[in-house]
Amino acid sequence: MNNRLKVLRAERNWSQADLAEQLGVSRQTVNALETGRYDPSLPLAFKIARVFEQPIESIFSAQGTPR
Amino acid sequence: MTAVSDRKTPLALKLLGVAGLAAAGGATGFVMARFVDLAALPWTDALAVGLSTMLLAAAVVSAGIMASRPRSTPVGCGLLQIAILALAGLMLLAPIYGPNWFSPDMVFWGVVVLLIAQSVANLMLWRQADEMLQRVLSETSAMAFWALQLALFLYAAAERLGLIEGLTAWGMVGILMGVYLVASVIAAGRRGIK
Repeated sequence: MNNRLKVLRAERNWSQADLAEQLGVSRQTVNALETGRYDPSLPLAFKIARVFEQPIESIFSAQGTPR
Repeated sequence: MTAVSDRKTPLALKLLGVAGLAAAGGATGFVMARFVDLAALPWTDALAVGLSTMLLAAAVVSAGIMASRPRSTPVGCGLLQIAILALAGLMLLAPIYGPNWFSPDMVFWGVVVLLIAQSVANLMLWRQADEMLQRVLSETSAMAFWALQLALFLYAAAERLGLIEGLTAWGMVGILMGVYLVASVIAAGRRGIK
């Protein structure tokens, strides 16, 4: 799965630790999400969407799916 | 919100970290060579001593890394992971060296206490872990289970056929811990956890 977490986070000038704190996960988890090493559960994906105030499908897309 | 963007770790700091880990590895090797004659031990004890040394060294290095972080960095599950590593190391050492100072009964009950403490720490770690760490823990268990059940089946078949000698429970525990350690490194590495 692809995601725009890094871009969205950079736009807000948040550190990985900042985002991790808002999501209630570790900084390593945010790093793994951004590098595509871990796909979030549905509840976490919804939380990410809430934090960035965007619909899930604008943050995540299936591998190779053009946005 | 601190509004601080992530910065890449400077190369000098990375090299310093590598040098620190190399020094820790060297010191561990020196202590092992100076105080433990692995060749004189049965292979089951040598395996347990080797594993416990790795676990204790990992606990010390992790504690050092945690202590060197800024105070603002959340501790997270780090303390529990250090405790689990250290307790596992002690549990492997106690049955080998404990009888030098205490009666076997006392050593056994000491191991029971360590085992209970480690189980509680493991449970606390699971409850405090976020979903990715829980996934890593589950994958580690699954990998270790499949590797060990395959090995156990082959070993049992070979033993039943009289092709190999019997293995003690102590030897099995050493192998189990070793396989679990390798599985945990693989599972964590897949998620980019170093």
